Amino acid sequence: MNQEVNKLQELLARVQRNAALPRTLVSAPEPVVPVHAEPPVAFSAPAYIAPVAEFTAEEVFFESEPPPPPVYARTFTPEPPAPPVQAGASLDASVDELLLEDPFPSVPPRPSYNEVLEEEPPRPVSVPTARPLDRDEDVSGVVAISEFSEEQPEELLEDDIVEMTATEAAALPTANNALDELDFDDDELDGKRSAPPSDEEPPASSSRSRIAGTMDEALARAAEQIQLQEGREVPLKTPPPESGPQAAVALPAGMHAPLSPDIEELLEADILPTGGVRAAVPTAEQLGQTIELEEARGPSLELDHPAAFKQEALQEDLPNEELEVTLPGREFGGGYQEDLMPPPEARQDLDAHRQRLGDDSVPPPPESLAQYPSQQPAAYAGGFAPAIVPANVSTDSYSESVSTVTVDAPANAEFAPELLARPDIGPSPVAKFIRVEAPRPKTFMELLDSSLALGSD
Amino acid sequence: MSLNFDPSYALEFDFGRGQIRMANASERVIVPCDALLALCQGASEDAVRDFGRRLGTEAGRVMNDRLGEAWQASLETVLEHLGGELALMGLGSLGLERWGQALVLSFSHSPLGWAGDLLLGSVLEGAMQRSFGRDTVAIKLMRDDQKVRFLLAGHAGASKASNWLAEGVPWGDVLSRLATRGVS
Repeated sequence: MNQEVNKLQELLARVQRNAALPRTLVSAPEPVVPVHAEPPVAFSAPAYIAPVAEFTAEEVFFESEPPPPPVYARTFTPEPPAPPVQAGASLDASVDELLLEDPFPSVPPRPSYNEVLEEEPPRPVSVPTARPLDRDEDVSGVVAISEFSEEQPEELLEDDIVEMTATEAAALPTANNALDELDFDDDELDGKRSAPPSDEEPPASSSRSRIAGTMDEALARAAEQIQLQEGREVPLKTPPPESGPQAAVALPAGMHAPLSPDIEELLEADILPTGGVRAAVPTAEQLGQTIELEEARGPSLELDHPAAFKQEALQEDLPNEELEVTLPGREFGGGYQEDLMPPPEARQDLDAHRQRLGDDSVPPPPESLAQYPSQQPAAYAGGFAPAIVPANVSTDSYSESVSTVTVDAPANAEFAPELLARPDIGPSPVAKFIRVEAPRPKTFMELLDSSLALGSD
Repeated sequence: MSLNFDPSYALEFDFGRGQIRMANASERVIVPCDALLALCQGASEDAVRDFGRRLGTEAGRVMNDRLGEAWQASLETVLEHLGGELALMGLGSLGLERWGQALVLSFSHSPLGWAGDLLLGSVLEGAMQRSFGRDTVAIKLMRDDQKVRFLLAGHAGASKASNWLAEGVPWGDVLSRLATRGVS
């Protein structure tokens, strides 16, 4: 405080000294003092004091509403509080105003501002280096004046609090630099620090909206979200809870969601038995075209149930286990009746055949030496006298089932053949069989002896 | 007396000595048939007969050793054992036929062929001499591709049969004549 008083006194002395000097016009333009580049001289960011309720990073940067601005307590001192001073050129102006407003100035009035500028160039202003903004430091538009004071933060009054918009707050280089240099990572370990992202646009990977700068802006955004939610359609299928509400995607043309089944049809399908009764039962349209037929005339026929199949009865009917068929007896052996006569056509054909071939064409049946000849000349003893052999066709069969057929051909003397007989030969032995009844020798020696005896007279 | 002929271990091949021995017999020599036939054809008839009888005598001796009393042996037993011994010699399969009182022995599948018929007959004569002590004459009745028949007869009957055979009398008629003349 004393220093400030001293400064004010020096300033006052200088003003008075300058006032005594003659004034000159300055053609050169006034040097432009960069307001933003030169922060207030005597101000620096207040030291961080941890609040009672400390905010977490999520609460500060990810909450939809900005955290309440911290209020730094300022200790009361017996000295009058320093007037609020704004940054930049307003600082000098406020000092002048203080001087002018002093109704009882102890020093002569200071010269005007232009005069001061003409006298000496402005003193270089030391710009405090930017420091990183603490995490709990207020980033909203509400900035306390005490933050720009070197002094310890004191309790702010309502008059000390100046509301600032986001643009105004962004205009403060110190605050902006401090905000840009926010880093929650361990800067000491990570030497390579990437460039600070731009605070104008959120990162591309971030899907969260930008934090509202003011309460009005936050309220406006909340109102917009409510309006969006009211106009949003709820999808048919609620997505999983973790995915949150999503807008329903319109299906392409020609596709639609499956229709809900008809409960009545399902109930009917359950009642009707399985097997396609619906297909078997005629529809109403078909019943309208049904024609009832009259009953059949005539005797009524009743179908009787077939007798049950009995395996035992079948087995009893069979005489044997094998399926045998008894052949008919000998009387059914296909014989001829004796009085059966050939038809007249056959008789004529037979006569013609006999005339054509003659009686000699009929060969006698084969004979063996053990049988007597079946045909014997009738007159053998008569020498070479012709003899007529009766035309008898006889068929002898060894089977009794075949009857003998005898056809008596009519005698025809005109065509009778002449038979020549061999001369009569006396009986002579044709073969001689010698039956030797030699006893079988018991030993080889006996046979050998008998064989050695052969030929010996 | 063994009734069945058992040829087991009948021949013993001694490769160390290079000898072939027959059981209960002397050493044997395996010679080619062609060489034997050439020898028989080049030799005189008596020499061939003598050679054959030696072979038959050896077979009869072995048979007698096996049968013991050969004079009591039946037809089947003699045929089995004598035929077995001749088969071991490789002379063919022996057969026996009885035509009345005539005894006919035959050889089938003999490797010697028609040139060895004299030798085969002599073998039979030697076997009958050695086994039964009878002097017999083997007269060849017939010969076809596979079988040769020998009539065992005495000297009288053998001469008659040989004459009839030389006249061209069928061998059946020869047997009949011998039987008829013998009966009459």
